Amino acid sequence: MRRLSLRGTFKYLLSVGLVNCCTVTNFPFIVSSARVRPNQEFTWRNSADGLVFSMESRMDAKVKKPKKHQQKHSGPKAEKKKAKKQEGLVEEDERKRNPKAFSVQSAVRMAKTFHRAQDIKTKKHHVPVVDRTPLEPPPVVIVVVGPPKVGKSTLIRCLIKNFTRQKLGDICGPVTIVSGKKRRLTFMECNNDINMMIDLTKVADLVLMLIDASFGFEMETFEFLNICQVHGFPRIMGVLTHLDSFKNNKSLRKTKKTLKHRFWTEVYQGAKLFYLSGMVYGEYQTQEVKNLGRFISVMKFRPLVWQTSHPYLLVDRMEDLTDPEQVRTDPKCDRTVSLYGFLRGAHLKNKGQVHIPGVGDFQVGDVGFLSDPCPLPDAQKKRALNEKERLLYAPMAGVGGLVYDKDAVYIDLPASHVNQLQEEARPTTELVQSLIDAHSTLDTKMAASKVSLFTGSATLDPTHISQHTRERRKVIFTQDEEEDVGEEDDGEGSDQADDEDDVECEETAAGGAPPQKKQKLEAERGRTGSCAELPAFADSEDELEMSEEEEEAGTPGDSGHSSEENEESEDELTDDDDDDGGEELGKQHSERESEEEMEEQGALRWKEGLQQKAAEAFLRQQEAAPNLRKLVYGSVVEVTESEEEEEELGGLFRVSRPQKSKKLQANALDCSRFHADTGHDWDVQEVLDSIRDCFVTGKWEEGQDAATLLKQDEELYGDFEDLETGEVHVRQPQDTQDDDDDDDGDEEPQVKMDDEEVQKNKRLEKKRRLKERFNSEYDDGDSTYFDDLKEELQKQAELNRAAFGDMDDESRVQYEGFRPGMYIRVEIGSLPCEFVTNFDAHYPIILGGLGSSEGNLGYLQMRLKKHRWYERILKTKDPLIFSLGWRRFQTIPLFHMEDHNGRHRLLKYTPQHMHCGASIWGPITPQGSGFLAVQSVTGSKASFRIAATGVVLDLDKSVTIVKKLKLIGYPFKIFKNTCFVKGMFNTVLEVAKFEGASVRTVSGIRGQIKKALSSPAGAFRATFEDRLLMSDIVFLRSWYPVSVPQLYNPVTSLLLPAGQKDSWSGMRTLGQLKHDLGIRNKPNPDCLYKPVVRAPRRFNPLHIPKELQKALPFKSKPKQQQPKGKTPRDLQRPSVIREPHERKVAALLHALSTVHNYKRKNAHKVQHAKHKEFLQQKEKDEEAKLKRQREAKKKLYRVMGQKDQKKQRSSLKGAPSDL
Amino acid sequence: MASHGLTYDGCNFFRQRLVLSTLSGKHVKIKNIRSRDDEPGLRDFEASFIRLLDKVTNGSRIEINQTGTVLFYQPGLLYGGPVEHDCHPQRSVGYYLEALLMLAPFMKTPLKATLKGVTNDPTDPTVDLLKSTALPLMKKFGIDGEAFEIKVVKRGMAPGGGGEVVFTCPVRKTIKPVQLTEPGKIKRIRGVAYSVRVSPQMGNRIVESARSVLNQFLPDIYIYTDHMKGTNSGKSPGFGLTLVAETLNGCFLSAEMSSTPQGQGEPVLPEDLGRNCAKLLLEEVYRGGCVDSSNQSLALLLMTLGQQDVSKVLLGPLSPYTIEFLRNIRDFFQIMFKIEVQTPLDDERKGGDKVLMTCVGVGYSNINKTVK
Repeated sequence: MRRLSLRGTFKYLLSVGLVNCCTVTNFPFIVSSARVRPNQEFTWRNSADGLVFSMESRMDAKVKKPKKHQQKHSGPKAEKKKAKKQEGLVEEDERKRNPKAFSVQSAVRMAKTFHRAQDIKTKKHHVPVVDRTPLEPPPVVIVVVGPPKVGKSTLIRCLIKNFTRQKLGDICGPVTIVSGKKRRLTFMECNNDINMMIDLTKVADLVLMLIDASFGFEMETFEFLNICQVHGFPRIMGVLTHLDSFKNNKSLRKTKKTLKHRFWTEVYQGAKLFYLSGMVYGEYQTQEVKNLGRFISVMKFRPLVWQTSHPYLLVDRMEDLTDPEQVRTDPKCDRTVSLYGFLRGAHLKNKGQVHIPGVGDFQVGDVGFLSDPCPLPDAQKKRALNEKERLLYAPMAGVGGLVYDKDAVYIDLPASHVNQLQEEARPTTELVQSLIDAHSTLDTKMAASKVSLFTGSATLDPTHISQHTRERRKVIFTQDEEEDVGEEDDGEGSDQADDEDDVECEETAAGGAPPQKKQKLEAERGRTGSCAELPAFADSEDELEMSEEEEEAGTPGDSGHSSEENEESEDELTDDDDDDGGEELGKQHSERESEEEMEEQGALRWKEGLQQKAAEAFLRQQEAAPNLRKLVYGSVVEVTESEEEEEELGGLFRVSRPQKSKKLQANALDCSRFHADTGHDWDVQEVLDSIRDCFVTGKWEEGQDAATLLKQDEELYGDFEDLETGEVHVRQPQDTQDDDDDDDGDEEPQVKMDDEEVQKNKRLEKKRRLKERFNSEYDDGDSTYFDDLKEELQKQAELNRAAFGDMDDESRVQYEGFRPGMYIRVEIGSLPCEFVTNFDAHYPIILGGLGSSEGNLGYLQMRLKKHRWYERILKTKDPLIFSLGWRRFQTIPLFHMEDHNGRHRLLKYTPQHMHCGASIWGPITPQGSGFLAVQSVTGSKASFRIAATGVVLDLDKSVTIVKKLKLIGYPFKIFKNTCFVKGMFNTVLEVAKFEGASVRTVSGIRGQIKKALSSPAGAFRATFEDRLLMSDIVFLRSWYPVSVPQLYNPVTSLLLPAGQKDSWSGMRTLGQLKHDLGIRNKPNPDCLYKPVVRAPRRFNPLHIPKELQKALPFKSKPKQQQPKGKTPRDLQRPSVIREPHERKVAALLHALSTVHNYKRKNAHKVQHAKHKEFLQQKEKDEEAKLKRQREAKKKLYRVMGQKDQKKQRSSLKGAPSDL
Repeated sequence: MASHGLTYDGCNFFRQRLVLSTLSGKHVKIKNIRSRDDEPGLRDFEASFIRLLDKVTNGSRIEINQTGTVLFYQPGLLYGGPVEHDCHPQRSVGYYLEALLMLAPFMKTPLKATLKGVTNDPTDPTVDLLKSTALPLMKKFGIDGEAFEIKVVKRGMAPGGGGEVVFTCPVRKTIKPVQLTEPGKIKRIRGVAYSVRVSPQMGNRIVESARSVLNQFLPDIYIYTDHMKGTNSGKSPGFGLTLVAETLNGCFLSAEMSSTPQGQGEPVLPEDLGRNCAKLLLEEVYRGGCVDSSNQSLALLLMTLGQQDVSKVLLGPLSPYTIEFLRNIRDFFQIMFKIEVQTPLDDERKGGDKVLMTCVGVGYSNINKTVK
């Protein structure tokens, strides 16, 4: 039992059950209330029977405050400190105190250290890119990945609870939360299915990789890491769980260390690995989760190439918009589906092409942006988020904002929100509801309201409109819109004025405003043309207009059938406007009149020759602010309607004006030249003067004029002293004075103020220039290419932000597309019905935008390497599943190797440890995109599943892979170096094709094909560098082009029924097919082992020539020994047959001789032994004799020696006496 | 899964549609090509253009119906390399070169195109004009290098032709965004007065008359006379003048005029031609902008194909061709330009209204180029 603290005046003791209920319902409240009061603290205590939840307060005054630190001012301690301080002052600068230590010891070493420092500095540089991150970025996608039962859902739940204080049951689909003032997070759980792992890697910003420490790494972890490596490496953070299963602390530490180091080798040295030490009531420890959350919320992400260059959506809400009736009649019909999510990556263009991994490629039907369901808090200066701002949005999990059922909308609000919201909502419930509705379905609403105008007055009821639910509206849209258009067209044909009215009405209705306003508007239209009455969410087109031409207060009715018409109405409006000057008005009047005249002449004439029109239009633009945008792009409504016209009316109303004019213009001369027919007469001086300032000889602007520039220089450098002469030049002060006087000559009263102002401005300007100059001079030496580039890109980024920053979103999306960070709704028609029927929210739906030609198919040439952990090598022409770009698809690769001469040569198998080329038929994907390949995505295998990885090198519409082909022929007639060869070709034509080709024999003799022979067919004459043998084989080495099979089979795993989504199987490999069908290849009989049969060897007799025989010595001469022939009969002796008596005698003799022989043998044996003994004796004697002799000799020598000694001694004795 | 295509009516703006189709990879179908005409179907020069397109691409599919009134074009990948093409003399080489200028930076291998035919005629921008205006414009977008040039080897006037132009262009992976909002003041005027198979004096006469007009504004005028002889002079006689005004900021405005082709219309006096051409240049200056009026579409295309960054270009009034080009860009790339009219102040004497075009590039990268 561990207790953190127990010092309280009162405690809450709760049973386990109570605590549970507290965490479910009131826990957030309690926590927050605890936060309010600072002196409270919580204590958690584990006890045998449950949890003791104690809360204590130190509010009472009895508790003593801790003693404050007092600084000593006297005594030894204080003196010591003082002395130290003074000393410190003396030896302040180390360099000065000890200059020797800092002097240059070695120039070489200094250079080396400098180089090293520079190297390290440069290594840190990345290639700078333009910062295209939006101001309000989309939520960060955090993918939580790991093998089953490792605690993924628990971790997500804990993190969500940590950030939002809310509990989420089933984690289903993406969960978006607001984690801080500037950051939102989207959590997504990734299960063990390799399809899901691949898809989520492509959208992940951060990966939380859960690892079961009690088990260690699992294959999925490594697979996922490898997938990450291929598709750009998102941030990866490891999380170790199940650490409480370790009983032994030492083994825990050891495991942590080994796991950490393995993780580091996979990710990078020092990658963050979190430890979640244990569970407390099915949740991770709060402090640990909090730490993890902090790490996540301060993390920075690197831009990944693929993600930043493509728009994508992690769909968090899906709705089926298909007509229910159609679904009823044909359950398998294609569905229209709207998908919602935060846009990420790049800008998304309307009507672009997208790929949904697991489903296929689709054309985006319609895109619209909605209000953010999970917005960041408004900019405020406080530190933390309040309860209201901690939002949670997970429609697929059934939490946050709106939950759509089949025919109802549930608005789910957290308990804390309810009170405030209700207060707001009560008075204008309709408004709120319509707002909630309107943002999501603006376009559908437009369509619906259009209808309501024409079908009857009853539908004009505003309550009716607001009561419409989404599905019902959709039905109306499909049924009635066309009718509506038809009606509208009829009206147009009949009467012009009427038409305008109609359109105006329609306009108001389309805006989604209550139709009650219509009459009022119409009434007002005569007097003012102001748009103030128009609803805020009017037609987007109008919004644009407003922003562009602010002078014209009135937004024209966006009838938009032709630009002229629009301009006319504009004119009308400006005509009515009081603000405009009279002169301008007059011009417009005249213009309008002329236009009306033309109108009367007929529609056909009006539209004749758009070139002239354009020129005229431009001229007109000079008077009134023109609407070039409309001239160029028309209005969106116009385009669609004119198309519908064509479809709808067919031959009946062919004579319509715009159509006709288009026809006339359609086949005109295609020329880029712009012929001027403006009628400027360039002989007139005035006209000439109008462009006078375009030339350097003309007048310059204030800031750039040479005179002013000179003067500025004067100001800067006017005062100087010539040091040689000692002259001091001072600039003339009256110079500027004069100038000022000139400027202010006319208006004296205001001069004083202006003068000061001017002076001040001038001073500021001068200061700025000086600073600029100083900066440029100062930084010049230091700025590198890298710095310049970075600065340039920084400027571009600023420009990007500024260019459309001041526009409203409606018009902005038209120019730059939908910004990343927007919450958008994408409508896609003709999705397969399985997408809806087999929808499983646990699987991510990703909408990946495609570049301009990425929707096409072609041949891709890639560099591929079999993964070193994959057990087998890959076979050419075996189907393989690739993950490339957004897509997962099955295709048939051909492996090849590039020869030294650039030839791509087919390989049968991938090399073991080397890169090779691979060519596939697949979707065009930009070069440099990484890919990975797997053999199958079905189920899970024990072994590593990623078969190969690589990168796209080249895209083309044809391939040049060849394989070697050896044609073999046999010589059938050989002249000197010429030879006739047969068997290589079948016809003369074939030979003709290969005339001049080089051939070779097996023995290495090279030659050339010369000419075909008439017979036999296919034989030819060839010359060689040497004479051939009949046994030679001639071969011709040639290269045969191989074609890449055009198989592109997208993996449609998302269409499979729920629960079986990981069981997609495509084309089988040859090996699998054979295995399944039980087919075994008949082996080539030549390759089989056979018993070795060896024939006995026969040698011919050796023949020695007679001459040689003669010369040989006798020993070596062959002996003429004839084998003995059979003895002739006459020489054969007859056998003797004995008489019985003789036989007895012979037997006796034999017995006797046997006995005799025995005796003799024995005697001989005895004799032998005796002799041996004798020899031994003799030897012994000999030895004794020798011994004796030696003794004697010894004695003798001794005596002799003694004698000698004596003699010597005597001689020696004698000698001294002699001396 | 091939991406959806686009359908158009009529043969006008034929080139832009095919060029944009090639760059965007979207297939295009053009119907009703002169279907009501006495001679329906594609003309020879259009067929020649299609053939040229086929030469520079790999894997294009072109289908034309029996009468030639319907054309289906499925673009392949731009291949480049050495290409030789006999341009049909109905249109000048400029007609073909304009399209090649748009395609050349996005090839697999650097393009070296030899175009034979009419180098100068009154309808299309001539080779000299493109050489002096389009190339410096493209250089601003980062398409540069030593092998980036247009060389007039032989000059051939309409209607006979017989000229030869060599166009070489390096390939680029991406295009830089540009900010051309300030044209600057014109500092010099240059020009080429060319004449073939006529008296060499023609050139001098043209220069004299042109100078007489332009000298009112600027002293720095130099007009080269280019008289080609022998095999280099093509098959028909003629003369003409190309004038280029260069500003301080490196923008080029140009005007040109050619003599009427032999046997078509009234002959022109060289003096008149020189004077009129100079006036055309003044008109061009009046229109102003950073880009010449015949190169507007090229500039807009390169802006569209830039990185995902904002590009700005100041143009003179938009020509009808450019307007249609903008529409086509919207069809093929879903890019709309922000068009702002800049009216000059009263006291400024800088010609007419200007148009500021702003767009965000599609982030196009050259998918044809091989990486090693």
